Amino acid sequence: MLMPMDGVRVVDLTRFTAGPFCTRILSDYGADVIKIEEPGAGDPARRMPPFHKDDPGLEKSGVFLFLNTNKRSVTLNLRTEDGKSILKELVKGADILVENFSPGVMDGLGLTYDVLSEINPKLVMTSISNFGQWGPYRDWQATDLTLYGMGGNMSGSGDPELEPLKTTGRMTSYHVGYASALATAIALVNADLSGEGELIDASAFEIMLQSIDSRMQRLLGFQYNDKVPERLGAAGQMGLGSGTLPCLDGHFMLTGGPVMFPNIARMIDAEYLLEMPEWNTVAARSRPEAAEEFEALLIPWTLERTKEQIQAKCMEFSVLGGPMNTIEDLVNDERFDERGYWQTIDHPETGPVKYPGYHFRFHTGDGEAMPERRPAPLLGQHTSEILIELGRTPEDISGLRAQGTI
Amino acid sequence: MTTNGSSGTQKLPLEGLRILDFTVVWAGPYSTMQLADWGAEVIRIESLQHFASTTRGVMARPPVEMVRAQSWLGYPDDDAGERPWNRYSVFNHHGRNKRAITVDMTRPEGQEVFDKLLRISDGVIENNVPVSMERLDVTWERVSAVNPNAVMIRMPAFGLTGSYQNYRTWGNHMEALSGHPLIRTYPDLTPEYAPQGVPADAASGIGAAFAFLLGLRQRRKIGKGVLIEAATAENFVPLLGDFVMDYTMNGRVWTQMGNDHWYLAPHNVYRCQGQDAWVTIAVENEDQWVELCRVMRMESLAGDTRFVDMESRHANRIELDSIIGEWTTNHQAHWVMNRLQQVKVPSGVVMNEKEALEDKHLHERGFWHPLTHPEAGTYQYVNTPWKASKTPNIAPRRHAPRLGEDNEYIYKEVLGFSEDEYRQFEETGHIGMDYDPSVP
Repeated sequence: MLMPMDGVRVVDLTRFTAGPFCTRILSDYGADVIKIEEPGAGDPARRMPPFHKDDPGLEKSGVFLFLNTNKRSVTLNLRTEDGKSILKELVKGADILVENFSPGVMDGLGLTYDVLSEINPKLVMTSISNFGQWGPYRDWQATDLTLYGMGGNMSGSGDPELEPLKTTGRMTSYHVGYASALATAIALVNADLSGEGELIDASAFEIMLQSIDSRMQRLLGFQYNDKVPERLGAAGQMGLGSGTLPCLDGHFMLTGGPVMFPNIARMIDAEYLLEMPEWNTVAARSRPEAAEEFEALLIPWTLERTKEQIQAKCMEFSVLGGPMNTIEDLVNDERFDERGYWQTIDHPETGPVKYPGYHFRFHTGDGEAMPERRPAPLLGQHTSEILIELGRTPEDISGLRAQGTI
Repeated sequence: MTTNGSSGTQKLPLEGLRILDFTVVWAGPYSTMQLADWGAEVIRIESLQHFASTTRGVMARPPVEMVRAQSWLGYPDDDAGERPWNRYSVFNHHGRNKRAITVDMTRPEGQEVFDKLLRISDGVIENNVPVSMERLDVTWERVSAVNPNAVMIRMPAFGLTGSYQNYRTWGNHMEALSGHPLIRTYPDLTPEYAPQGVPADAASGIGAAFAFLLGLRQRRKIGKGVLIEAATAENFVPLLGDFVMDYTMNGRVWTQMGNDHWYLAPHNVYRCQGQDAWVTIAVENEDQWVELCRVMRMESLAGDTRFVDMESRHANRIELDSIIGEWTTNHQAHWVMNRLQQVKVPSGVVMNEKEALEDKHLHERGFWHPLTHPEAGTYQYVNTPWKASKTPNIAPRRHAPRLGEDNEYIYKEVLGFSEDEYRQFEETGHIGMDYDPSVP
């Protein structure tokens, strides 16, 4: 299938997680992403666990393998003049450059937007950083934990009596990368129309504050009634017919509420409630005691059933609910296989491994499937190939290699 | 020529695009918000006869008992007002810059209005279970027949095919199925305590907006429109990529990690002086560890065999967290953050909404922008979270549309209906600014 970003070239200076997630989204949909890595060491994500079979190695990090599918890797020492001039040649033929160094690093290398846009006025340059390229926190340090705590909905996550909780793993970095890909795509529309590129200053802190993972809602909700919103906690989430409830083989998350209550009452064979004055109107069902009264019927019902059985009932009665699964349950849920979601990607060092599939799929009406993705590149796998594309001779390449430029 | 309420001469990058918006709840409206923020004319298509729950409120006319119980999901001064659907906090934030019209698509003349609008639009975005859209006959077959150049994004939770296609969930239930809350929740408590966040909704919104722009590129390449299927679950699973890979490569299953990191320590949130005040501290290397010990005035800790390197700190993290926690309870969260940032240790307060609105960095970067809503008042709205160097960067330009607010503009100016025809639509209940009295 012809992919929407076919023909778009990205010079990728990103490392670690947020930046590579951004360029991964671009490469998934056809962009030619040239990943610039430091000779010898490569992207630090190559040293991040988990490793394939728990055996560390530059080509075995699950994080790196996951984040760098479909990209080409070039090693290039940007601290040398030769390295910089090769980068500039790549920029000349590129549409996009993405970087997530600490603010100031690109300036220190002499690779500012002003310099690069002189070489290529159509260049879209996306700079991803924790707090933006300017402002009082510009040079502050942050990890996912810091950013979710300050920017995301951490103050609203967890139990009010206990410590607030972050989102899991590297979700914050990945979300920031995703939003930066959107920023890049919008700037690309602008560049196509005007013939002029621009510089995107993407701030992880601000991306998390704008997120509709409840943070954005709470920011206006707070102003509406001047009350700092509390964490809901287990008790707060246990509204009418709602909560994470124990069942025969684990737990199941349900959402009822006074409006959608009739469906959940029918689901548990308690339709008779709907005839009773305590339950027959939304106002009656908004009574503070209603949740606990209904729970006395609901929990015995869930305790007699498995996650799978409750899920089937939810689908039958249009009740909002989901099983509390592990990753193992997810990967083995055949209903994702039915849709061909997972992709098995073969890599020289790991052999075939199952990866998460496409974020979204194109249907062009020609019945063509989305293409298979290529594995993440070995360190410097495409160095010669790309230098030859730039017109270098094999002798030039050996010279650069001997100097440690590539 | 479309309009988006932008003023001045400088164009926004997506000006000229017209998108018909059937999105509900949070994820879908967040995607069209992204496109409207950058200039697209997004037209919400709503009906006076049907209220999509959790979009303009949980109910059109919520009883006072419910309004009081709603906290941040509520109304200015906890008062739903005469037209609650125009005062709901969530809608009024993500609805900015969009237009809204009403039409009853269950009737033939409503379908004709949709066709007319579709012919002059670039595409459609919706996030309903497939069966709901089929009921309105808003399918790819119909859309592409009426406008072969349309880009259509459909974002049901589990896609348009397969056994889950009509499985109705919100983000939190789909996340539960995808494994997130069970990994995220507290180490020592039962899963009842798992938080029900919806980072999946945020990722769906970003993804669908990005997909729409890719759809426009694809249209240019192949010379016709395209259907993009953005199942929100499939879009979310990659955000758990590390966990998927550890399972598929090593068979390892992580659960109940709380704020633990796989291998960094310390890495947690610590209680500080004051009410519900917390600070995060994450140490990534030995330099940061030594600096942290110095700031705590516990230099000897750096040489303690229990904490001498990352591996031993991680193994003894419960003890370590209690030592750090004891120290932070004697300090203000902002003091700890500022002090640790001075020595380059990643640390930050767990910022509540009040603190965020007062934050100096955000003010300096122009992150807040006021908007006045005619039925809700004047408040601060979040700006675009990235700055584009050659584009105006003020996202909140026009208040979220009241129900039916743009009927006159769309029906008359855009679609060219006459005054008489417009009145006819009004009399037959297509056009109005109030839900039908039968809608609860």
